[in-house]
Amino acid sequence: MSSNSEACAPAASADLHQMAAAGRLLAGVVHEINTPLGSILSNAEVIERSLEMLAAMLADPRPQSLERARRLVGTCQSLAAIDRVASERIRAVIRGLKKFARADGEAPRAIDLNQHLRDSLLLARAEFGSRIRVEADFGTLPEVECFPQMLGQVFLNLLVNAAHAIEGEGTIRARTRLEDGVVYVAISDTGRGMTAEERARAFQPGFTTKPIGEGCGMGLAIAREIIEDRHGGTIGCESEFGHGATFHIRIPVRRGTRGPEGPAAPGSRSVTP
Amino acid sequence: MNQNGHHSPSDHPPSVLIVDDEEMVITSLRAFFELETDFTLHGFTDAEEAARFAEQNLVDVAISDYLMPKMNGIQLLARIKQAQPEASRVLLTGHADKQSAIQAINQVALFQYLEKPWDNAQLLLVVRSGAERARLFRELREKIEELDGANSRLKTAQRRAIEAFL
Repeated sequence: MSSNSEACAPAASADLHQMAAAGRLLAGVVHEINTPLGSILSNAEVIERSLEMLAAMLADPRPQSLERARRLVGTCQSLAAIDRVASERIRAVIRGLKKFARADGEAPRAIDLNQHLRDSLLLARAEFGSRIRVEADFGTLPEVECFPQMLGQVFLNLLVNAAHAIEGEGTIRARTRLEDGVVYVAISDTGRGMTAEERARAFQPGFTTKPIGEGCGMGLAIAREIIEDRHGGTIGCESEFGHGATFHIRIPVRRGTRGPEGPAAPGSRSVTP
Repeated sequence: MNQNGHHSPSDHPPSVLIVDDEEMVITSLRAFFELETDFTLHGFTDAEEAARFAEQNLVDVAISDYLMPKMNGIQLLARIKQAQPEASRVLLTGHADKQSAIQAINQVALFQYLEKPWDNAQLLLVVRSGAERARLFRELREKIEELDGANSRLKTAQRRAIEAFL
């Protein structure tokens, strides 16, 4: 853990965060791609073989092989339909990855935050598949001025953490609301929750409850940096061991006059650890 | 067919159970096996339904995905093992982690661990040998039962012979 604490110097934090997020996501993405890929490869073989058989039947047409030929055509048609669905699935995963691939050096933009969160949810599904139910409760929001890719990383990080906290089946809820010029985002899960000690240290760089090699304890520390320092917002969590966890994010709709490297406004830091 | 509804070992084409929460996997495997084999195929997207099926019907080879809602592949294969120990158990998973592989091998005496994307030729080989293995186990059990029967008939005859003399 000590090496992680050292490595979390602000200069290195963005790179580290990228690596941590990439590593965690990779396993999920591989799973999400391998299933449709398996189908596509298998279908290609079956379609080739069916076409060979059909070609042989056409070379020597007999009335009694007509029914068999029809069945082969039917099989090929249904497999082609599956290939289309499977390819769409792979494309969605890759599109999501591209979107989150590079976050540094981006300029602030006004975006539809609900859509952004929806995209993060889609990508996070790569991590947990159908094991976890996702409930989205989005309020009407104005366009929010923010660093979209950084914010995407925060969402993704919270969602992946939430998924890891849930053993077996469970639910993740994402909620957005507009409150007095501030956008409120809550991400909660029905997972194992945190003990008081874990909760107190959750945002501390290098702190992780994951087994060695699975988490470097940087995700929430950087999430706080992104929300508080870059967006002048707040991030906090509430949780009871055995009863899930909720992360609260608040960011102003219009960013202040501060640039991305500017100091946090006084009092903007969350009181929650 | 014998009394409990199961076929005798050698008179049926292999019965293959395919369980994956992704319909596309079942459709692809079904198309492949239908084209290349005479296997009887039973596909389920719901692990619970698959387990109930295996508790009531003969299965030679059970192929299961790992990551599924309700129960994972190892839990499902464990139930199938309990219902019919002779069935060969195959895990076909896109979730390639060593831990689940080791767990599967140790907990459910896995016949084969395959990863997605799978290779049809390899899968076919695995299913054929798995079905053969299941058939041999069932034959062995029937032979043992026959031997037990013959043995007890012999004992009865022996006892009657002794009684006749006494």
